[in-house]
Amino acid sequence: MTVLVGLPRDERATAAVHLGVMLARSLDADLLLCTVVPPPWPPGMARVDAEYQEYLDRSAQEAIEQARRLVPGDRPASFVVARARSTSVGLLDVAREHGARLLVLGSSTAGVLGRVAFGSVADRLLHSSPLPVVLGPRGFRCRADATVRRVTAAFDATEGADELVVAVAGVAARAKAALRVASFAVRPRTPLTAGIGSRAEDAVAREWAAEVERAQRAVLEQVERLPRQPSALASAVGYGSDWAGAIEDIGWEDGDLLAVGSSTAGPLEHVFIGSRSSRIVRHSPVPVVVVPRGAAHALAERAERPA
Amino acid sequence: MAPLLHQAFRRKPVEVMAAETGVDGHGGGQLARTIGLFPLTMIGVGATIGTGIFFILSEAVPVAGPAVIWSFVIAGAVAGLTALCYAELAGAVPVSGSSYSYAYATLGEVVAMGVAACLLLEYGVSGAAVAVGWSQYLNQLLGNLFGFQIPDVLSQSPEGGGLINLPAVVLIALCALLLIRGASESATVNAVMVVIKIAVLVMFVVIGITGWNTDNLADFAPFGIAGVTGAAGIIFFAYVGLDAVSTAGEEVKNPRRTMPIAIILALLIVTSVYVAVAVVAVAAQPQAEFEGQEAGLAAILEDVVGASWPGTVLAAGAIVSIFSVTLVVIYGQTRILFAIGRDGMLPGFFKQVNARTRTPVNNTIVVAVAIALLAGFLPINFLAEMTSIGTLVAFLVVSIGVIILRRTAPDLPRGFRVPGYPVTPILSVLGCLWVISNLRPITVAVFGIWVAIVLVWYFTYGIRHSRLAAGTPREDMS
Repeated sequence: MTVLVGLPRDERATAAVHLGVMLARSLDADLLLCTVVPPPWPPGMARVDAEYQEYLDRSAQEAIEQARRLVPGDRPASFVVARARSTSVGLLDVAREHGARLLVLGSSTAGVLGRVAFGSVADRLLHSSPLPVVLGPRGFRCRADATVRRVTAAFDATEGADELVVAVAGVAARAKAALRVASFAVRPRTPLTAGIGSRAEDAVAREWAAEVERAQRAVLEQVERLPRQPSALASAVGYGSDWAGAIEDIGWEDGDLLAVGSSTAGPLEHVFIGSRSSRIVRHSPVPVVVVPRGAAHALAERAERPA
Repeated sequence: MAPLLHQAFRRKPVEVMAAETGVDGHGGGQLARTIGLFPLTMIGVGATIGTGIFFILSEAVPVAGPAVIWSFVIAGAVAGLTALCYAELAGAVPVSGSSYSYAYATLGEVVAMGVAACLLLEYGVSGAAVAVGWSQYLNQLLGNLFGFQIPDVLSQSPEGGGLINLPAVVLIALCALLLIRGASESATVNAVMVVIKIAVLVMFVVIGITGWNTDNLADFAPFGIAGVTGAAGIIFFAYVGLDAVSTAGEEVKNPRRTMPIAIILALLIVTSVYVAVAVVAVAAQPQAEFEGQEAGLAAILEDVVGASWPGTVLAAGAIVSIFSVTLVVIYGQTRILFAIGRDGMLPGFFKQVNARTRTPVNNTIVVAVAIALLAGFLPINFLAEMTSIGTLVAFLVVSIGVIILRRTAPDLPRGFRVPGYPVTPILSVLGCLWVISNLRPITVAVFGIWVAIVLVWYFTYGIRHSRLAAGTPREDMS
């Protein structure tokens, strides 16, 4: 199994490499680090902008060298420079070629430290990648021997939500990590002009949470029947007046990973991040993996296969 | 019979109310007191203006003549008295809610259901009335901008010579869609809407006053006192929403002082705007022309100026602000039914929250369909009167409730006490009764039938399914 890390060309990709190493160590996978450069243009007239090409190649090599220094000696890692029109296409080509199972990216430098922010490449991949995409918060760091200790599956009791939990349970079992099923009850403010007090929305959120807790129990029972178990099972409902608050409410630790599903509105085999998942991702204090429905389905099937 | 009555008057414990909505998901919790006098006053003004003033004159002037000005003052005075009583009842319950929840906590289940019946009128029917008013202004705007109007058959109720009021139905459907998606009006939107509403009404007064003609005021009160009070009943509808100030109590800084001042300030602002609009309108146009006039304020302006632009501006402002009013009213209605559903007195269907949208979808659809039927097929004057009587009776109960509560629970800590007790609540009760007695008999009869239906429902279903009947209203306190 291979974990592919996308390296930006023009900045240190420490967060992405750290995250890639942690995931590869947890899943006992190979690392493949890749940076993408645009091909010469127009084709066949490479000399016209040879200097620019040289500069690109040089910076790609530098990025690779930097990444090489960051990978601990005990992890097998290979490095590749791909040529492609666009970074996202290049990364997906490399992933296909090497049979990668996870695609790891860092956050945009425009984001807030400690939160996930999509750069243009991540945004593209979050609407087109057939394999799960992992995004690290900006400035993510971990010790060289760190592993994933707990995977939290975001769960909202809608169609297809169970499958993601089962899929994540399988991956957590493989990584010898715990599984936590988490739902986020966001209470919007009640408009006071409606004359029904300030707490009408709290009641709606509570009712939603009561339903979701029932569904959480049911899905955890499903997980308990799996042949390979995560190291521990838990569930949580976070309350907050906005997504940030609700996500913070359930508490996070080092070694946490958050998994969200992709929207049912998108195609089955690609990630298509919905507005709600997108909000969860943006407010996550820990790395996030976004799983396309097709991949969730395949992973869930694998999790259910007898040992 | 005694046990039945005992059951009917059981009250919902306040700690249960608090636990049900637990702020942090673990029960209890205080909201931050962040609302000062000015924002609170704006909440009152924003919740009140826009419900009626844009179209109520066409209904009220034929009843009262130019003396409609006094009808506004009477309706305003009664509204102010009731709002003060309402603030005391709201302040006696430490958890905020609607008058349904206040009545449930202090006066008993059957009273709460009676109040709920009134609230269904106050919200549902006023939503319909407001939507019908919106459709008048939409037609006016379409006519001014594109020279095209929706034909009567599709923009009038059957009584008005049409088939269905389609724009009103479409507006309600739009609001329902927004609510299902989870839109709610923010404080900022409310502030913007207040500004728009007041701006167009001030524009009406400033431009309309140039058309002042004292001859129009000659026959000042053609129908005497009866006409004035009859119109006050219709107009009372325009004051619906003032109670929103009291329901914000939990978040108000220094509520004992802020609350009454905000209520009185909001009332003064609203009443002065209404009276100014009314004075200008009756002076600018002979009273005979009000009857059946659509989008009245815009029409008056156009006649005064002799051009269509002021009417267009006013219609545009009315359309935007009435839209937001409709949204909030339908929203309020769904959440009140939701609360009744959670208390067990409506089938679970009403408190179901859709997993995907996280909003009570079923409930919203039922409410929207019901309001759309009312708006599509009933004339606006009937809708306005039904709203008025619903609100008046709810306030009547609240005012009596204040008196009862002072006798039964004199030591209950109250965030706010009515000034001039017992005169204020008694005046409030008398005022409500006086205005109600001047409504059309048909309105009172329909109202009586409606309350009877709700009470029959309560005694056949609600009393047995109430979560208080189950003895453990704590199933969701895990």
